[in-house]
Amino acid sequence: MTKPPVIEAKNLTVSYMLGHGFLAPKTRLNAVDNVSVTIDRGSFFGLVGESGSGKTTLGRALLRAAPISEGSVTYQDDEVRYDLADIEKAELKDYRKRAQLIFQDPYAALSPRMTVRDIIAEPLEVMGLTKTRAETDARVREIAAKCRLNLEHLRRFPHAFSGGQRQRISIARALVSGPRLIVADESVAALDVSIQADVLNLLKAIQRDMGISFLFISHDLSVVAHVCDHVAVMYLGQLVETAPTRALFERPRHPYTSALLSAIPSLDPDDDRQAEKLEGEVPSPTDPPPGCKFHTRCRFARERCRSEAPALREIAPERHVACHFAEEFDFSRQTAPAAETV
Amino acid sequence: MSDALISVQDLTIRFRTDEGLVTAVDRVNFDIRPGEVLGLVGESGSGKSVTAKALMRLNADNTDYDAASKILLNLPEGPVDVLGIRRERDLRVVRGGAISMIFQEPMASFAPAITVGDQMVEQLMIHTTMSKAQARELSIEMLARTGIPEPSRRFGQYAFEFSGGMRQRAMIAMALSTNPRLLIADEPTTALDVTIQAQVIDLMKDLVRDFHMAILFITHDLGVIAQTADRVAVMYLGRIVEEGTVRQVIRHPAHPYTLGLINALPKLDNLDADLTPVPGDIPSPLNRPTGCVFHTRCPVAIEGTCAAREPAMHPASDGHMAACHLTEEAVTEGMSA
Amino acid sequence: MSEITQKPPVPVADAEAERRRKEAYFTASQGQLIWARFRKNRSAMIAGTVLIVLILMGIFAPFLSPYDPTIAGRNKDYTNGAPQIPRFCDDAGCSMRPFIYGVTRERSLATNFRWVTKIDTEDRRYVQFFVEGDEYRMFGMTFDTHLFGVDKGKIHLFGTDDAGKDIFSRTLHAIYTSLAVGTLGVLISFVMALIIGGVAGYFGGMIDGVIQMVTDAIRTVPIIPLFMALAAFIPQEWSSETRFFFISIIIGFINWPTLARRVRTHLLVERNQEYVLAAQLQGAGAGHIIGRHLLPSFTSYFIVDLVISFPYIVLSETALSFIGLGLKDPVNSLGVMLQNTTSADVLLNYQWYFIPVFFFIALVMAFVYVGDGLRDAADPYSGSKK
Repeated sequence: MTKPPVIEAKNLTVSYMLGHGFLAPKTRLNAVDNVSVTIDRGSFFGLVGESGSGKTTLGRALLRAAPISEGSVTYQDDEVRYDLADIEKAELKDYRKRAQLIFQDPYAALSPRMTVRDIIAEPLEVMGLTKTRAETDARVREIAAKCRLNLEHLRRFPHAFSGGQRQRISIARALVSGPRLIVADESVAALDVSIQADVLNLLKAIQRDMGISFLFISHDLSVVAHVCDHVAVMYLGQLVETAPTRALFERPRHPYTSALLSAIPSLDPDDDRQAEKLEGEVPSPTDPPPGCKFHTRCRFARERCRSEAPALREIAPERHVACHFAEEFDFSRQTAPAAETV
Repeated sequence: MSDALISVQDLTIRFRTDEGLVTAVDRVNFDIRPGEVLGLVGESGSGKSVTAKALMRLNADNTDYDAASKILLNLPEGPVDVLGIRRERDLRVVRGGAISMIFQEPMASFAPAITVGDQMVEQLMIHTTMSKAQARELSIEMLARTGIPEPSRRFGQYAFEFSGGMRQRAMIAMALSTNPRLLIADEPTTALDVTIQAQVIDLMKDLVRDFHMAILFITHDLGVIAQTADRVAVMYLGRIVEEGTVRQVIRHPAHPYTLGLINALPKLDNLDADLTPVPGDIPSPLNRPTGCVFHTRCPVAIEGTCAAREPAMHPASDGHMAACHLTEEAVTEGMSA
Repeated sequence: MSEITQKPPVPVADAEAERRRKEAYFTASQGQLIWARFRKNRSAMIAGTVLIVLILMGIFAPFLSPYDPTIAGRNKDYTNGAPQIPRFCDDAGCSMRPFIYGVTRERSLATNFRWVTKIDTEDRRYVQFFVEGDEYRMFGMTFDTHLFGVDKGKIHLFGTDDAGKDIFSRTLHAIYTSLAVGTLGVLISFVMALIIGGVAGYFGGMIDGVIQMVTDAIRTVPIIPLFMALAAFIPQEWSSETRFFFISIIIGFINWPTLARRVRTHLLVERNQEYVLAAQLQGAGAGHIIGRHLLPSFTSYFIVDLVISFPYIVLSETALSFIGLGLKDPVNSLGVMLQNTTSADVLLNYQWYFIPVFFFIALVMAFVYVGDGLRDAADPYSGSKK
């Protein structure tokens, strides 16, 4: 019997009221708009989108770091089951142990005035997970070793470390409370390419060895393609497509996903596939287009798209698309290597 | 090379800091021919931005150019020794005249309190003898040329009213309006969404074709280089470690760092491949390794040799050079083991 | 194109020292990094030394000054007297001990009733150290030993004023008073700014808005009219000490809006840092976040703000006392000492009244340079961004 998913979001909406000063009129911004998504236990779930897609907000909402305006989010592991939209203070404190966040900026995420040991130990102290200093130290050392940080490193301050190392410290801090879910928000975007793979491999090892589920938020599709088992694509606060990774990259079903994939510059200089031109700019999230939010830039837009918003529907096993006419398109892509490098 | 538009010879740049003299660029040599797109690829600390800024003498006051360094700009009016320019007004030719630059953060290169149009006109008034009306007309035309809809309306707007991609186009329009011979693009697409990035890359390719200008394209993204550049130079810690045509370098990399970089890239055409990082961390510029600058992280470094002796650039094939003690075959073999 | 270079092997001892130095850098806390940076700033270090010297002079003023600075210690025979600089040698020969000349004064109808001072070069008065003199209280205990004095009569290094009070003694005591007023004022500003600015910065929103309006309102109050009003209210019976406290408190009250604004700005910035969010996501309460993350993050900036406020408070007090609204005799401060300098007589004939001004310039400049040096050193982490 399969275990229940670690996260189940239904019709989740996160809205903010914007307006300057006391008396200005306020506009409503739906950063996340009616999103329903399921993250299986032990999965490495990718969430991709461009700026304004709401992916960061969705990740924060799952951690209750952003307000849940409408809908429900349910977290479940072997011990507890929480309804995040309606959670009590004590339960929320417990949830903090089980769900953690890794930030994008390795320089801003670590307090520069604390030693590495204190940074990693802080969650233990705040959450009261250990009773003695010796216990704390032992746990810190255990987790640090998993992230390839040795004893010498623990005595130092963050300014002594490079970006990749700091990210590993961030990861260690997230792991120390024994979470079952980790949200990695653009965790490798600020790192050099030659170091990214190192951090990604570490995350995969954590998933494998500790059975932790990941929500991996990224704008970099190539990275997502390599580390995630499922992918969800967001546009202007809504999910446009979800699928297992391989299937999504071999045959995207939504025009936006197809355009995204074709926009990635290929490493092959002779690959003269033209990127599908996406016309115009991303609309403002405070004033989204009616009907299908993507229709203003979609080359297949028809009358129905302007008036009726498509629901996210299951078009094939495990494949969900939010497009009225998804069945008509074939965006199959060649994924075999085009030219030999090594 | 006498037919080169700009020739950089033995460029060494050091910065005077509290910790002493820090070498950012070490004996860099390259040429750019007219109409050619040269990609300068490197990660943090590679010195690529410092090199590019040197072409326009934009580095800070604590910059120390080595006496042997030379940057020669070959203009139809005569050659210009960029590093030798003494007078402020002579610098105009390299700053916005024959050489223009676009940056990563377009919001940072537009003054926030002046309209975009006014800034473009100001630039033209400095570098050309046009009248204000002519400058305005040309600016609007350039805005249209870079794909900005309603250019005359946009001319009167402020930078914050533009979206990210549009600001980048406006910056390109501004840079091109003086008809430079060389455009330096410093990470122009890094801050953009991938769909916008594709548009801007297409735009730049069209402009190269129409304006016949050379581009020095600086980026860490090999994919972007593969699609836009003719030739590429790979930099690591201030040295050029490999140089050649895009096909040569990407398909037959001869330097372990280049090969490592390519291997570390997640590629969409092979989803099963492992992600292999380049081992170790980039050394701090205060701590430059002896001998070959890459040897501390090189998986095929030869014990003793690579730490002691700096490798010279030797040719792997016609026009394709790498600074490594090993031959290309040895590198490839060693790294796939 | 590029040469092949041979680098000589690094000696082992150097490598070890290098490794230890790097390790020290890696494990250096914020305080240590700031101090290391501060030390490299030569002007700041010089200013710091000057500042420490002046502070010590102020603290040990009663010991260092030969006489009581008030009326009690005046020299009736030498009013408006010129400075007497000790010397070692004169026509009659040199001596190991420094000495000054005695003076005789006379005034009569012939001299238009002006005092005419005659220096008697025959009358040598030797300077002695650790002499017994007027009693004074320091640190709660009574002493009567002064650093120096003369065997006969009195010595006035900076001359005397029209009552005969020794200006050198008064200067030292004035330094002490100004520092005391400054400290008290800064402390009061500090506490108020932390609380008010802290609340505004941490909670933001409407609370911040309201506090901002109140702060701005207080800042617009003009100081001189305020003090004139307060001066009218101060009862004459109040002792000078009480008056002293009152003035300090008022000055502190005037100054807190500036500091509070700084605190608020620091907090607003730091509050949005990602490491704060990380702490919130661990379930940390506001107390933990403020104490462990926010306060340490701007302690260094705040200390800089405090050091830089000091001279403003000192100068405020000086200005107020000068126009008679602040401290009064017998309490001694630069402002009080300058009260008497506004007559033409003084300007033309008794220029030594202005000697204390140089001390105060030094004090204020020292604070400013130290504050600047601290500010430059205070962001040791700014250089480590990619």
